[in-house]
Amino acid sequence: MTAENIANPKITVPKIIVRDLNFYYGDYRALKDINLSIAEKMVTAFIGPSGCGKSTLLRTFNRMYQLYPKQKAAGEILLDGENILDKKQDLNMLRAKIGMVFQKPTPFPMSIYDNIAFGVKLYESLSKNDMDERVEWALRKAALWTEAKDKLKQSGTSLSGGQQQRLCIARAIAVKPQVLLLDEPTSALDPISTAHIEKLIDELKEDFTIVIVTHNMQQAARVSDFTAYMYLGDLIEFGDTSTVFTNPKRKETEDYITGRFG
Amino acid sequence: MPMFLREASLKRHTVLDLLFRNLTRVSAFGVLILLAAIIGSLLVGSMPAIHTFGFGFLTSSDWDPVNDKFGALIPIVGTLVTSAIALLIAIPVSFGIAIFLTELSPRILRRPLGVAIELLAGIPSIIYGMWGLFVFAPLFADHVEPWLNDHIGTMPYIGPLFSGPPMGIGMLAAGIILAIMVIPFIASVMRDVFEVVPTLLKESAYGLGATTWEVMWKVVLPYTKIGVVGGIMLGLGRALGETMAVTFVIGNSHELSKSLLMPGNSIASALANEFTEAYGELYTSALIELGLILFFITFVVLSLARYMLYKLGQREGQVS
Repeated sequence: MTAENIANPKITVPKIIVRDLNFYYGDYRALKDINLSIAEKMVTAFIGPSGCGKSTLLRTFNRMYQLYPKQKAAGEILLDGENILDKKQDLNMLRAKIGMVFQKPTPFPMSIYDNIAFGVKLYESLSKNDMDERVEWALRKAALWTEAKDKLKQSGTSLSGGQQQRLCIARAIAVKPQVLLLDEPTSALDPISTAHIEKLIDELKEDFTIVIVTHNMQQAARVSDFTAYMYLGDLIEFGDTSTVFTNPKRKETEDYITGRFG
Repeated sequence: MPMFLREASLKRHTVLDLLFRNLTRVSAFGVLILLAAIIGSLLVGSMPAIHTFGFGFLTSSDWDPVNDKFGALIPIVGTLVTSAIALLIAIPVSFGIAIFLTELSPRILRRPLGVAIELLAGIPSIIYGMWGLFVFAPLFADHVEPWLNDHIGTMPYIGPLFSGPPMGIGMLAAGIILAIMVIPFIASVMRDVFEVVPTLLKESAYGLGATTWEVMWKVVLPYTKIGVVGGIMLGLGRALGETMAVTFVIGNSHELSKSLLMPGNSIASALANEFTEAYGELYTSALIELGLILFFITFVVLSLARYMLYKLGQREGQVS
């Protein structure tokens, strides 16, 4: 992919810089020479049809792929200038800096309080009071405090689907990460819960750099500042969300966002 | 004509249906009746002993067939202690096996290892017993027990448990053999339940920066606790009732000793050894009462397990 295909968005403070990233599932090349930057405290959306590599790209940012022996990434991903693909990178510390929320709510089989304390306890040993405060802080940030404050001791699975997903967001931010990866966070939710989460994303970008994968173009248009359109492992177009959606540089992008394809 | 055939076949089906329904009912109730009959016959058989010894049977360590004095304390203690030793060893080992097989093992090793563990479960218990007596016990006496005597036997509090003559056979040896026997059961159940944990749930925990150990211990284990406790109970059930293997290595002695290295006796082993030579009504009846006690212990253990699961669910706020 050549530089002219990218709309060269004005990213003044890049949090993450991806350079010549290739990704392999065994012999299959799922990402092809990806180059892009993620702006700090902004929302960047990856869109594209199924199998385009958008989730794969997201999962390289916290090296989740490393759980599976046949998956490999080559190239560079710089987080604040440091290559996180480096063998010396400590995975657990990386994941403390880069939190993730998944397609489906995944509350742990424990109480709401413990769900949030779980991640915090991995890195910090807080007193009971400090932990209480942290849990409240995370729940407030995730707009779940008013609904959950009276049932902190109840199981996380007793919440509704949308609440569970906000619990997962609270759990991710309780660790105080710098980057939040959202992998189709609303694909299992109803429209009202989806609206809740989208509003939340808007508020969270004050504190966090957010990368969201979505198959819903309207969602990308609503929540993101930058949009990357991917197709079959290629980054086709990357730019300001308004530019990508109103005045795309490439015909493939236009075809996709106008619904002629995909 | 076709109409007539259809009616005939419908009629036949109705009869067959009725037959089938009653057959299933008889099978289901048959189990209940069988259970009641077993309890009943155990009760009737143990009546003479219950009349003679009363509750003292449970607390007395006498076992004197010549003078018709019987007490169940030693076999009860033996059964509980050997099973406890077995679980103490088998649970962590099985947990390790299951984690390795589901999370860490390279894919090509998973099947052969899994099959090997299942084969281990299929070995008849008498073979474990023979192996225990002829191979394990001598090695244990020569190499392990002297070390236990020298190092742990001198410690305060737990020392007396591990001091005594190195004979090879005894409660500890029986517990270890039992552990080897129940590991395949517990490990394969644990592996099966760990395998059904959703990938996303594990990835969520890894995504927070948890290590494999933390994911297994804090997320996978709580998620699968019902299955895991079920597997442990399966193993415990087997350990409590195991007869042949224990008979070979426990020593069959009606002596109460503080030391785990000393021979003892278990309920099942006492029954197997003594029924053929049990002359006189009281002797036989005492043995039958032992059987009743074993039955009762198993029942209590299973009920406790259910209660524990219920309590765990309650603590988590999701009582069903």
